[in-house]
Amino acid sequence: MSSVLSDVLAKKIDELAARYPVKQAALLPVLHLVQNEKGFLSPEDEQDVAGRLGILPVKVREVVTFYTMFRRSPVGKYHIQVCTNLSCSLAGGDGLVGRLETRLGIALGGTTPDGKFTLTGVECLGACETAPCLMINFDYHGNLDAAGLDKILEGLA
Amino acid sequence: MIRLLIDGQHVEVSEGTTVLKAAERAGIELPRFCFHPAFVPEGSCRLCLVQIEGFPKLELGCSTVVREGMKVATQSPVVREARRGVLEFLLTEHPLDCPICDKAGECKLQDYASDYGLTESVFREAKEKREKRLPIGEKLLLDRERCIQCTRCVRFLAEITKTHELGLFERGVHAEIGIYEGRPVRNGYAGNLVDLCPVGAITDTDFRFKTRPWFLARGESVCPHCSRGCNIYVDHHPGFPRVPGSAKVYRIRPRVNEAVNGPWICDYGRYGFVEAQNKGRSDRPFWNRGGAMTELSWDKVRIVVGEKLKALRESGRTGRAAVAASGWLTNEDLYLVRKIFRDDLKISRLFIVDPKPGESDGMLLLPDRAPNRRGAAELGFDLAPPSLEALTRETDVLILFGPHLAAHFGLEELRTAFDKIAFKILVTSHLSGLESLADVVLASATPAEKEGSFTNADGRVQRFSATARSCPDVRPELRILQDLAREIGLRSDLYGPAAAARTVHVALVQEIPFFGARA
Amino acid sequence: MTRATKVLTELFWLEHLHRIEAYLDRGGYQALKKALTEMKPEQVQEEVKKAGLRGRGGAGFPAGVKWGFIPKDLDKPRYLCVNADEGEPGTFKDKYILSHDPHLLIEGIVLAAYAVGIHSAYVYIRGEYELIARRLEQAIAEAYAKGYLGRNILGAGFDLELVVHRGAGAYICGEETSLLESLEGKRGNPRLKPPFPALVGLFQCPTVINNVETLANVPFIIQKGAAWFVEQGLPKDGGTRLFGVSGAVAKPGLYELPAGTSLREIIYTHAGGMKDGRKLKAVIPGGMSSPILRADEIDVAMDVDSIAAAGSMLGSGAIIVIAEGTPILHVLRKVAKFYAHESCGQCTPCRLGTSWIHKIVERMAAGGGTRDDVDTLVRLAGNIKGRTLCPLGDAAAMPVAAIAQKFRAELEATLERSAVRP
Repeated sequence: MSSVLSDVLAKKIDELAARYPVKQAALLPVLHLVQNEKGFLSPEDEQDVAGRLGILPVKVREVVTFYTMFRRSPVGKYHIQVCTNLSCSLAGGDGLVGRLETRLGIALGGTTPDGKFTLTGVECLGACETAPCLMINFDYHGNLDAAGLDKILEGLA
Repeated sequence: MIRLLIDGQHVEVSEGTTVLKAAERAGIELPRFCFHPAFVPEGSCRLCLVQIEGFPKLELGCSTVVREGMKVATQSPVVREARRGVLEFLLTEHPLDCPICDKAGECKLQDYASDYGLTESVFREAKEKREKRLPIGEKLLLDRERCIQCTRCVRFLAEITKTHELGLFERGVHAEIGIYEGRPVRNGYAGNLVDLCPVGAITDTDFRFKTRPWFLARGESVCPHCSRGCNIYVDHHPGFPRVPGSAKVYRIRPRVNEAVNGPWICDYGRYGFVEAQNKGRSDRPFWNRGGAMTELSWDKVRIVVGEKLKALRESGRTGRAAVAASGWLTNEDLYLVRKIFRDDLKISRLFIVDPKPGESDGMLLLPDRAPNRRGAAELGFDLAPPSLEALTRETDVLILFGPHLAAHFGLEELRTAFDKIAFKILVTSHLSGLESLADVVLASATPAEKEGSFTNADGRVQRFSATARSCPDVRPELRILQDLAREIGLRSDLYGPAAAARTVHVALVQEIPFFGARA
Repeated sequence: MTRATKVLTELFWLEHLHRIEAYLDRGGYQALKKALTEMKPEQVQEEVKKAGLRGRGGAGFPAGVKWGFIPKDLDKPRYLCVNADEGEPGTFKDKYILSHDPHLLIEGIVLAAYAVGIHSAYVYIRGEYELIARRLEQAIAEAYAKGYLGRNILGAGFDLELVVHRGAGAYICGEETSLLESLEGKRGNPRLKPPFPALVGLFQCPTVINNVETLANVPFIIQKGAAWFVEQGLPKDGGTRLFGVSGAVAKPGLYELPAGTSLREIIYTHAGGMKDGRKLKAVIPGGMSSPILRADEIDVAMDVDSIAAAGSMLGSGAIIVIAEGTPILHVLRKVAKFYAHESCGQCTPCRLGTSWIHKIVERMAAGGGTRDDVDTLVRLAGNIKGRTLCPLGDAAAMPVAAIAQKFRAELEATLERSAVRP
């Protein structure tokens, strides 16, 4: 099967692998790298990463399916991950979820038809002092009331 | 040596022994799912928890190493409560499949649940719905609802075959076992997963829905499909209401022998055995007269064949006879072959013809696809396969044991070579096409159906008794030889009729002590 | 000796503190210099032991003692893993050290590595902290450039390679053996102990695993001495602690206070008391895994041993304040959902117990619960606690048991109201 990894990506994978005495140890950082590049991890990606790190594809899939940050299907341009844990909920986080579902017209777990937004519920993001909070791609946004949320959504092109 | 107390019993074991193994020494078996003696302890099922004085929490029996003076309780109320807890958890997501599950009757979850009185559930929630018939190998189906995540299957493929076909995906209650697409379990040892699975999560499509364990009788035998001599159980329906001697073999399973096969058998033997036992049998004697096969009674066999051999003996022209024995014959069979044909009848052309050798698989399966070539060698037989020329040149009487000649030569080639041979006797358990070339076809028993011993490649002599008698009209080669010997007029205690295989074995050992040695 | 009001966070709010120039300006890397030039590794270890530095990740194990478990003469490489997984709900303190003062952490890492003879260290940082990880990597690059990492650090002949390694969303990977598995590129399934990581750890080699805040204290201990450090806290629990307060308080945030400060003081004096004039109902004192305290139980000293004696735990020092008006069932729902979601699934009681508890609580929340469900929850928690392969089982069981015990009346009343009459 021909590789779907670009030369640049392949080189970066090798660099990551070199930081460990065992290549498999680079698997999580490598999967992040590939996912950041391609948006999600396809079976072909699993097989290519496996080949590059000298491990079996089944071992890659074990990891991809264990960790919640790895996506096996495409996500929207903006992946909104809203905290559904306790501190955020005490500050109104559950209402935030409701407002997002209404504004975007999708339920938790869904993606908007135009492919712009994916909405996911996640556990504690470690930003409880700014509850309620959410993460859009890698950016944290906290202290969100309805107005603040609306402002952020409007600002997303 | 370490001395400790288990349930009040004094036990002495070597350093580094686990509590579970030490308990075994005291005759106490700790309940377990994930533990298997062939694997590194896993510690995930939590069923083997025991109480150890001085330890604040319950500790695992499978992985806790004994210490001098330890006091272990394996049946205290706390321990029993802990076990009930684990079993109760397992039963919450386990489907009520017993009525349709192959494993019922030999299922550890059933056994332990009944041991600990778990008959009613307080689980009122919806169970997880999962795949119930996932193909994971050529003959393997995985039922994810039944799976208790003991991971024995995953670890077998990691630690024993090192092929890693199975993985553990997702996490929490959604964790599931599976293959990577396009990479099913295919390593020559897949059948062991069915035995390993403590519940009915992994089932064998050959066995699925065919019978129930409580209908099966279990006989002990030795697998004859290569020269390893793996020890096996032969599971079969014994008799009633079938015709006596028509027992069907449903499966074989490994019988643990640390010195031979450990706890495993290979798929070649596992599936080959059942296939060979039940299919393609030469199941009654035949007389082949000009292409027409007529059934022959054993009495008639004795007369017809005996006549020819008597004539041969009286004519003194034994140089015109040839015998092709086989490494599929037992030590006792071969001993009599040697005694009758070489010693008594003075036939010098004695050969061994076996299936063509195959590949070794680097584990149990050996190249020799016959169980007793070593025994033949120790009895002085030449193991080199004969040329057709050597077998058929100036031959009037040819006696063949087994269908194996058909593996080496084409039927037409054989037909031409046999053209000048006046009388051909074929003693075989299986049909191969050779029947059309023989004059008389005698139906013989498979190793499962007779008593005897094989000598494996390591020189280990393994004795076995008859287990399943699948064809009513076949006879063990030993009996065929003894009847013919008497018919020809040969005299010996070993030619019976009262001489059973064990009697012949005693005589064999007396003459050649090698066959009595125990490793 | 006077007690400093702040140790770790004294300069947190300085702009550009994360740059090495700013760190050096305020005396950064002096402790490292002192250790490498004036102290033997054993002396560094001894100082940290005397300082009574308890692990800040949740278990509270004395750091100096843990370092001492590394065998002296095993011919294998040794590793240091920095636990920056920070997954305990309510916890956000390490985030600040990592983003505001990464060089403080780096210095602590090098000191720890020197003390134990380690030449390879990994920071295991949770995947969600991606932007913080990048900042940390920048700081590490600065440290390499100026000779505080890499070969022959400060010309003292000590080598250390430091690599940042991202997790990918699994609370269990904060458990030390699960962290090791994850670092090795596998599922985060915890390992059986014994053997302990000090003997068989990363890549089967002796390994020390320390929390971010724990290591961030080490430069202070070396610079100012163990006695000074003890003075900032308590004899068996030296130094200050970073308390993260969230929930129904007026000023949620990070508060650095001496170990042993009273919980009441933290909530009312420092975090501004209850928000919007509401009444206190309950407090989770040490992250979600810690047993809940009622409003009348908050006069407890927040040090590892005192709060343990009071039936809860200090854990990660994450204080979640719950006001009257929040149904306790709501809290229970969040607890049950979290552990069911985060269970790795390896061992029976946690895999199936957290799921069962979650399903019962959801049924209760949907109006289908009955009084014996509360009994069942307590019983299931009891069948999980102490029976699992790793502490996540205890972490799942303890809060459920504590809520069911301390707020039973409220739970039963809720169920009575919603129960379907036959």
